[in-house]
Amino acid sequence: MSHVMTTDPAGPTSTDDHDDAWQPTGPTRGSGLVVFILSGVAAVAVPALLYLSLNSSFNFMQNRFPAVVTGLVAILIAVVGVFLLYTLVDYALKALPGTIGDRVRPFAWCGPALVILSIYLVYPAVNTVQLSFLDANSQNYVGWANYQYVFSDDAMLRSLRNTLLWIFIVPVAAVAIGLGFAVLADKLRRLESAAKSMIFLPMAISFIGAGIVWRFVYAFRIEGGGQIGILNAIKVGLGGAPVDWLRIGGWNNILLMVIMVWLQTGFAMVILSSAIKGVPEDILEAARIDGANEVQLFWRVVVPNIMSSIVVVFTTMVIGVLKVFDIVWVMTGGRDGTEVIAERMIRNMFTFRDFGRGAAVAVFMFLAVIPIMIINVRRFREEEGLR
Amino acid sequence: MKFRSRIALAAVFAMMLAGCSVEVYEEGAFAGGGPGASGGEAVQQDDNTGTISIAGAATGTDGEAIQNVIDEGVNANADYTATYTGSDSFEQNIVIQIRGGTPPDLGFYPQPGAVVEQAEQGNLVALEDMGFEIADLEARFGKYLISLGEFDGKHYGMPDTVNFKSAVWYNKPAFDEAGYEIPETWDDMMALSQQIIDDGTAESPWCIGTGSEGATGWPATDWTEDIVLRQAGTDAYDNWVTGDLKFDSPEIKGALETFGEVLFTDGFVYGGHENISSTDFRDAPDPMFDDPPKCLLHRQATFIPAFFPEGLVPFEDYDFFKFPTIDGNDGVLMAGGLIAAFSNRPEIADFLETYTGEEAQCLYGKQEGSTSISANVNVGQDCYDNELIGQASVSLIEALQNEVARFDASDLMPPAVGSGEFWNGMNNYTNDGPDNLDSVVQDIDAAFPAPGEEPAPTESGSGS
Repeated sequence: MSHVMTTDPAGPTSTDDHDDAWQPTGPTRGSGLVVFILSGVAAVAVPALLYLSLNSSFNFMQNRFPAVVTGLVAILIAVVGVFLLYTLVDYALKALPGTIGDRVRPFAWCGPALVILSIYLVYPAVNTVQLSFLDANSQNYVGWANYQYVFSDDAMLRSLRNTLLWIFIVPVAAVAIGLGFAVLADKLRRLESAAKSMIFLPMAISFIGAGIVWRFVYAFRIEGGGQIGILNAIKVGLGGAPVDWLRIGGWNNILLMVIMVWLQTGFAMVILSSAIKGVPEDILEAARIDGANEVQLFWRVVVPNIMSSIVVVFTTMVIGVLKVFDIVWVMTGGRDGTEVIAERMIRNMFTFRDFGRGAAVAVFMFLAVIPIMIINVRRFREEEGLR
Repeated sequence: MKFRSRIALAAVFAMMLAGCSVEVYEEGAFAGGGPGASGGEAVQQDDNTGTISIAGAATGTDGEAIQNVIDEGVNANADYTATYTGSDSFEQNIVIQIRGGTPPDLGFYPQPGAVVEQAEQGNLVALEDMGFEIADLEARFGKYLISLGEFDGKHYGMPDTVNFKSAVWYNKPAFDEAGYEIPETWDDMMALSQQIIDDGTAESPWCIGTGSEGATGWPATDWTEDIVLRQAGTDAYDNWVTGDLKFDSPEIKGALETFGEVLFTDGFVYGGHENISSTDFRDAPDPMFDDPPKCLLHRQATFIPAFFPEGLVPFEDYDFFKFPTIDGNDGVLMAGGLIAAFSNRPEIADFLETYTGEEAQCLYGKQEGSTSISANVNVGQDCYDNELIGQASVSLIEALQNEVARFDASDLMPPAVGSGEFWNGMNNYTNDGPDNLDSVVQDIDAAFPAPGEEPAPTESGSGS
């Protein structure tokens, strides 16, 4: 952040674009240092003051008032306090001589966000990297041992394999099914929104909730006991023997992915459906006149037109899938070869209380997300460029 | 074009939300100080702040029972108010709170291992430093329980209530009708199991289920521990806990083979050994009460009647006997926690003294639905409204006084073993049968942290 400050406002080629607001009489050059210092102060002032007021009010109120009152006061201070602080800072900026106020203002407004972001995002990330080179209790330096563990432990390797499978299978399945539904629902005359709602409904269910719902689908009881799982009930009803689905090596991973697809298809469908509706009617018209049938229309006109939406949906899902944890945790806890990376992270961190290994897994996961983020951001920029 | 970019915006926004949740994990996990920046410095304060904050893992009925006992037994006659807050994710939260420098005053730890770990890192106040005489406490709880929280010559864990684990439940009407007697020894119990099959009293003698979501396998570790405690003895048990005695040793393998007599004898386990880990431990005893019963015996801690089918009457429809002796060796397996103090104030010492005293502890017997047994050996059987628990308490106190009561080994082992590979190993053993025993024990041994990797834990955890 600091390098932004040093180059930008004080530099000789000032990028200020509201020249009209400039007072030609103002002391423009000599005040560079003042602007720099004030920008820093302004950026830190709001979060610092907010922290101090929250902290002191908490210390004062704790154990003296009911927790609810303390909580409400904290919310009040945070909401009203932030508003007042910003107003105050802005007022102070206006009182500054010449153009200094104008040049400090951007930092007063986005500085606090950057400061808070670095406290809550950058610091933990740096700290995690640091932890990943320390032992279980974060006491001794262990070099690359934790990363060695990530790439050599059997369960870790299985989790890497499984996560790769998740990344390939889930987004492809969810996008394909979602796209299929979007296209078909588009052709419906009346029930389109009802049909789409049905598909979209699981989106409202949390992963944990979905896990519990699906446990009843896969539930298993010893033969002879009443089968409460729908799959086994059907199988037994047809004269088969009950199967513990989630213990069948290999397949159990697929059965877990089905849950994720069930949850995510609605998301893909909604986005792709509106993208399809955004395909200009005249292009479709033209293609039809040229003699294209509906299948050709879909593959040659619609799909290329909505490609950017497909990519965005796809990459969003890949990121979601990389972090899949709840479903696995609830359904199998990573047993019988169903480990995934995020599950390993929580398991190492909290169950095994090995902060070093947990952090190493987290760092690996973080690095693995970056390429996908870059693709997404680049895509977004291209879109912006087209506008 | 504008429309499409708006979609992209929406998608990116969703993506950002997704991105945020990654950070929530990281934030929760790593917030607070870096290495060494551990909070909870034990600062002596002399003024009574009037409040004691307690965090623990027990929630629901158990959590209410704790608060009730605290209210009636302590708060009613004290110039401070102790408040218990239970959380399912206590073990995660407490780590975060300690690292963030805001631990509660007391932690009701469900497992002793974590207490010693915090003592190592210097976050706890020793009982000695609060003015307790260890000899008095040993008289109150027996030597073993006190030794669990020992680190570097000082004691950091005050025993809390425990659960009695060495219980074998049986279907009483079927048992009485067939004229079976309570087995006194392991061999009697195996003979009885065979007889149940021969008589056709039930489909199989045993119901065993170890399914428990992420913790699947733990009931099988309890079985193993009960057998090790008797077959190999308490010294071997303590060495096993610390990792000095390998799983791949004649003692432990021998115990697993003994367990195998139940698991792998044809027809001994209802549904076969392959389905043990597929059967939820809460559902496992149900077939015992089918008509006709599908099994007659079920080994599980004293909490299990809460999961029996509704409407069953204790002593009429079911009862339990203590897990029988092996080679004449008796023992009791228990689970429970230790109380650790993060701050040193006079009212905290007073709370610990009063809370673990006979009067307050006796109140646990009056709590509806509670199966907690006080570890205070002076708490009599008549404290317990639930007669089953009263009986269990007699066995437990006797075992504490005879120094043959032991803590659940998997709770004491390093978590990578006790909450990881030990469970996995048991699942592999029950799923795949006796032939892979060698690889099972070797895999578990491999999960023990390499010597030097975890420097301090020495042998302080073991007693006797």
